[in-house]
Amino acid sequence: MGRTALTLDGLSVDFEGFRAVNQVTMTIDDGELRVLLGANGAGKTTLMDLISGKTKSTSGRVFLHDTDITNWEEHKIARAGVGRKFQIPSIFKELTVRRNLEVASCRNPGVFANLRFGFSAEAERNVDEVLELIGLTEQANQVAAYLSHGQTQWLELGLLITQNPKIILLDEPTAGMTQAETHKTSLIVNNLKGRHTIVVVEHDMAFVREIAERITVLHLGQVIAEGNVEQIETDPKVREAYLGSKGIS
Amino acid sequence: MPSKRVIDWAVYAAFVIIIMTAPLVMEPFWLNRVAKYLVYGMLGIAVALSWGYAGILNLGQGLFFGAGAYMLAMSLKLASTTSLQQGSDRPVPDFMLWNAEPGSPTELCCINKASFLWLPFQSQWFGVAMGLILPVAIATILGMIVFRKRISGVFVSIITLAVVLLVRLVVIDSQPVTNGFNGLTDLGWFKVGGLEFDPFVVETYYLVAVSLSLVLVGARLLIFTRAGLILQAVRDDQNRARYLGFNVPAYQTFFFAVSAAIAGFAGMLYVVVSEFASPTFMDLTFSITMVVWAAVGGRSSILGACIGAIIINVLSATVSETEGFAEAWKAIIGLIFVLVVLYLPRGIAGLAHDFVDRIVTRRSAPSSHPLRVSDPSSQLAE
Repeated sequence: MGRTALTLDGLSVDFEGFRAVNQVTMTIDDGELRVLLGANGAGKTTLMDLISGKTKSTSGRVFLHDTDITNWEEHKIARAGVGRKFQIPSIFKELTVRRNLEVASCRNPGVFANLRFGFSAEAERNVDEVLELIGLTEQANQVAAYLSHGQTQWLELGLLITQNPKIILLDEPTAGMTQAETHKTSLIVNNLKGRHTIVVVEHDMAFVREIAERITVLHLGQVIAEGNVEQIETDPKVREAYLGSKGIS
Repeated sequence: MPSKRVIDWAVYAAFVIIIMTAPLVMEPFWLNRVAKYLVYGMLGIAVALSWGYAGILNLGQGLFFGAGAYMLAMSLKLASTTSLQQGSDRPVPDFMLWNAEPGSPTELCCINKASFLWLPFQSQWFGVAMGLILPVAIATILGMIVFRKRISGVFVSIITLAVVLLVRLVVIDSQPVTNGFNGLTDLGWFKVGGLEFDPFVVETYYLVAVSLSLVLVGARLLIFTRAGLILQAVRDDQNRARYLGFNVPAYQTFFFAVSAAIAGFAGMLYVVVSEFASPTFMDLTFSITMVVWAAVGGRSSILGACIGAIIINVLSATVSETEGFAEAWKAIIGLIFVLVVLYLPRGIAGLAHDFVDRIVTRRSAPSSHPLRVSDPSSQLAE
């Protein structure tokens, strides 16, 4: 295992007395693909919000490599190397697919630095590669609003790939997808393995089996188990959390 | 095959040629009027930039227009012969003298408590500079507050609307410095070197036409930059742009300020052409009228919004002066607006774009068509 990419240290957030995330401590290695599992309300999305800066934590720290990024502004965290895909796919719907990716390829975030025309040949090549990877080459000049739900999800994945962050947070990337689409998504995600550190929130166990290496299970804002697929599936605490202490009778 | 971009630029070039050659065929009576409409066209550009491209519906664009207008009007007021009468060799605006308290010195520095604000405006170029600086400063401060707080959509519109009304009240209320309701009238002519811009000569028309062409092309180039592209991304999904690492408020504020600068510039040109500045520039109806121009012309097209403003004004001038329509012209303009909003949500420019699209795709149909057809199935197969 390489060095640690993301460290959460006793991360908690309090929503007026309700602890959505409670003392979560975990480390994710460079290049690892980690799946976050948990029932509704377990705090998976909130945990992503805390890492990406959408929600400010009440205690605990977040480290990206050795940088403390706790409670930074969102765009600064993004610039530091954390990319995020949302549960509801969000893309730039009035721009063409290619333009969407070009936006993500801007390396310099400032207004004045971007008062220039066009993109470097290298950036354009990169965009072409990403289009190929997400399978939208033919739709490159189509306005993004007209993409299907699955294509929209892939485009958002493409935005992240183009942004090229160290860590990619994926919030339910297969929500609302058909089986075929889910399978294609798993191919894209598997392709990213090794190049990026990836954290995925997902319910779809078929998808999880296709991609997962290590799984962390959250319950009521706390980490209750961590391990590979078999370990998690046989873990008594996980069964209890999911099915209740008596199981299904 | 001419690409869409080439056709686009050709249309821009055609527009510039038309406004440049118009004086050759136009009756002199129309020269000054059309110059005013071209100024309105510039306002259309300002609205399209902030509404269509930044997604900020500013219902107070008149604030920036008014700010630009007043700044230059103050300079031109001091250059006017009416300010040099009363036997003094130093200019004092006539309304200040009329309203001066008995015994107060008849000097610009101290005729009333705030008259010293006028002192630097004795230089015409100070007025010109302020006509750009003031709108940009107001927009930047307003933008930093509003966009940092992530206020968006209709709330921005309400805030801008409130601000323009507030400033209008302040201007009307500050009678000793602004001449209140009456505004600044009896202005001198704008001068560059030995050239005097009498509003009714062809030089003034060209001052406006050249300015409009430059702003038009400049705004178009600006939205072609990467920053312009990112701005459109921000308009479509602020959050997505933020999580790609862009400082969203900085982009919004920058383009809001550019839009303000264009409106301020338009305000100055309007003063040159019409020889007055008045608080009516900051009336709510005027700001909303600008939005209507942009909507009719097409808010997501710089040129469309500009042409929309010009067409509506030419139309309303013609219709209102046609016997039989004299009473009904406002209803006719209103009807056009309603029809456009209902049936042409992207305005005249949207119609033109669809037309060009159809021509371009028909020519290239043999290559692109089969690909599109096989599209859905190839995805499923994967």
